[in-house]
Amino acid sequence: MSTSTQSVQNLLASRKLNHVVVLGANGTMGFGSGVLFTQAVPRVTFLARTKEKADQGLAAAKAMVRSNTVSQRVDTGGYEDLEKVCADADLIFEAVTEQLALKQEFFARVDAARRPDSIVATVTSGLSINTLAEGRSESFRKNFLGLHFFNPPNVIVGTELIAGKDTDPGLLDFIETYSEKKLGRTMIRTHDTAGFAGNRVGFKVLNECAILAEQYGPALIDKVVGPYTGRALTPLATVDLVGWDIHRAIVDNIVALTKDEAHSTLVLPKYMAELMDKGTLGNKSGRGFFMRDGKRKLALIPGTDRYQPVDEIKFPDLSYIAEISELHRIGRYEAAMAAFVAAKGPEADLARKVVAGYISYSFHRVGECTDTITGIDLIMGQGFNWAPPSVLVDTIGLAETIRMIEKAGVPVPSILAKAAPGTRFFNHPNINVGKFFVAG
Amino acid sequence: MSKEVYILGGYQTDFARNWSKERKHFVAMIRESVAGALRDAKVAPEEIESGHVGNFAASLYTKQGHIGAFFVEADPAFSGLPTGRHEAACASGSIALLAASAEIEAGRYDVQCVVGVEQMKTVSASIGGDYLGTAAWYELEAKGVEFPFPKLFGKLGDEYDKRYGLKDEHLAEISAINYANGKLNPNAQTRSWYMNKEHALAADEFNGAVGGRVKISDCSQVTDGSATVILASAAFASKWAARNGVKLENIPRMKGWGHNTARLRFEDKVAESKDAEYVLPHVRSTITSARKRAGIADVSGIDCIETHDCFTTSEYMAIDHFGLTKPGESWKAVEDGTIALGGRCPINPSGGLIGAGHPVGASGVRQVLDAYKQVTNTAGDYQVAGAKNVQTLNIGGSGTTSVSFVVGV
Repeated sequence: MSTSTQSVQNLLASRKLNHVVVLGANGTMGFGSGVLFTQAVPRVTFLARTKEKADQGLAAAKAMVRSNTVSQRVDTGGYEDLEKVCADADLIFEAVTEQLALKQEFFARVDAARRPDSIVATVTSGLSINTLAEGRSESFRKNFLGLHFFNPPNVIVGTELIAGKDTDPGLLDFIETYSEKKLGRTMIRTHDTAGFAGNRVGFKVLNECAILAEQYGPALIDKVVGPYTGRALTPLATVDLVGWDIHRAIVDNIVALTKDEAHSTLVLPKYMAELMDKGTLGNKSGRGFFMRDGKRKLALIPGTDRYQPVDEIKFPDLSYIAEISELHRIGRYEAAMAAFVAAKGPEADLARKVVAGYISYSFHRVGECTDTITGIDLIMGQGFNWAPPSVLVDTIGLAETIRMIEKAGVPVPSILAKAAPGTRFFNHPNINVGKFFVAG
Repeated sequence: MSKEVYILGGYQTDFARNWSKERKHFVAMIRESVAGALRDAKVAPEEIESGHVGNFAASLYTKQGHIGAFFVEADPAFSGLPTGRHEAACASGSIALLAASAEIEAGRYDVQCVVGVEQMKTVSASIGGDYLGTAAWYELEAKGVEFPFPKLFGKLGDEYDKRYGLKDEHLAEISAINYANGKLNPNAQTRSWYMNKEHALAADEFNGAVGGRVKISDCSQVTDGSATVILASAAFASKWAARNGVKLENIPRMKGWGHNTARLRFEDKVAESKDAEYVLPHVRSTITSARKRAGIADVSGIDCIETHDCFTTSEYMAIDHFGLTKPGESWKAVEDGTIALGGRCPINPSGGLIGAGHPVGASGVRQVLDAYKQVTNTAGDYQVAGAKNVQTLNIGGSGTTSVSFVVGV
């Protein structure tokens, strides 16, 4: 056995996880994350407002992973059982509604009931870990961390790990290794900043696309910033899927708590707020940037609350996208991105503005959100299924990327400016970078 | 082998990828796979002298023939190279390796690139099942049959049951081991899937029967993927060793090969073997002849195995055919932990066709690549400690074409 394998084994043996309690187990993040633990933990308790709600979570968990064997390891209960089950738990996983006061209320109850050595994790997607831990006991703060799974957790393996200022470093090492080796996660350590790394960068891009949609229309934006720019799902379709209310909560939180060189691109456009007042919330409300009329796809008409069939929209000449897609289709990714950089016309300029903005913003967050660009790369690749910023730089080439960023009028990150010519940034051994370049 | 054939490196694509969802042509898969192999082997494209492509059914899945010519599209330096496509159903990748290594042994070429490739997610499960039926005698065994192969390999289980007795719990354990190993393999298709022995034992709405005793959890996967290895003669390997500062004797070799073809129809094979010790004697012969050529007396000289678990019944068959138990006693090696990671002779540390995935034409190459990783101590979390000799078994059809290699240092 090699030294590194031995150290992994020692780390895994340093703590026992025999009983996990999930709070908020009727929600997707609760049962979806909770069911992952049943792969490695003999007993997982699903708690919700009532036992019936927790049972619904269990049924949804079984359907999600398509196995009835989940029941063999899961028991359910209402919050009246919280004190009793938390007293026995090795890990308490909190996934209740994303409200600070509510979460703090649960943590106060957990703090009073838990063993001093038990781990407490929150799945919060953006609330501050340090704020959540305020007022809690020393042993709670030492054993408290953020474990941010992305939805749906059984499909998306990228997971953020966030320490509070008092979190035991040894616990972080254990959870990181346990999650990677036992739960199949790709772990990314982030700092305790609003939106952490993934949502900070991801929703910056999504919101910028929403801002641009007011002028250009959502259908054109989703074509111009489409799969060929390095993503499986187009940006505004993503916002519709996530839900406008969730999108708003995330960007509002980031805008309120951070200040950066691209701040204005994170401010929710006014037209979205006005449409939300009228009930537009994305797919869950039946309408967002897009909606369906039978088999027909409709797109929001900019400046109105009306929709038009996408197949009736007169788009400008986008043949450059087809040419790039064809290069992706045959696996010539570098040639494709060279064509992207060289493409002429206002639509290509728009696409480069968003992509250059994404690269610039990502590299500017190094030090603030993660220690190195690799953390941002991994969460964008394994959490959002977007081409990681480093993969774009490597595929386009360092010098060409810097020129593209300058032309787009966004700041050139010092990491890129100072790098030696020809530097490559993405060095993960097991990720096929080709998968991020989607044709069409 | 009469002349040494060295393995300089290789590459496997992530078998979890769906290349149809990426809207890609399979040439993209060949490009990524070959480029990765050249990088890993530290060989320049200009040094490759010949290209071999293992592929089963691109003409059905993608309506494209002449697959060998797509090798030339992988790199501008390949224009003009001799290439060819090799097909023997699920053993296509191994047949490509046999041809390439034979050319090295014959002294025709010094550096060969062997690519296995299959894109299968272009069609629905039932149409794909029908295409796979062409690996059997289609008119007699598959035409009009829904999912013919699970049924044929269900019959293999029935034959074991008739001759020696067979318990489903042993098949479930084989499935659970392959899935568990797959979780350790960063390129395995099922690495994030939910699976355990209880699920493999269950017969419910999530684990229905697809062919007699064969349930969903007993099946290998429908997979898009490619694997590539770079093979070299002793002359090139010596130069390569010098320029990379390694010793020639530390470079893995294809030490031995076995290759047999039995009658196509499953019932003809079984009728031929009715008085024999082994259910599939030609498979047994493939395994023993590979070891004989490698100078290895028996399975005690093999440190781990990458076998063709297209179904749990085929791995069950492989256990006694490899000689890990007496004929009919494969269950003993399942029960006593012999085949599990950490056991005496782990089977499919990669996860095999069930856990890692089964892009049909690529599987034989993927097995040899995994054997190479084991003997170079580069298999990461699924490394078998101290592996020196690894044997593969790749099967086309219902035990029809069988190929085995011994890879070692």
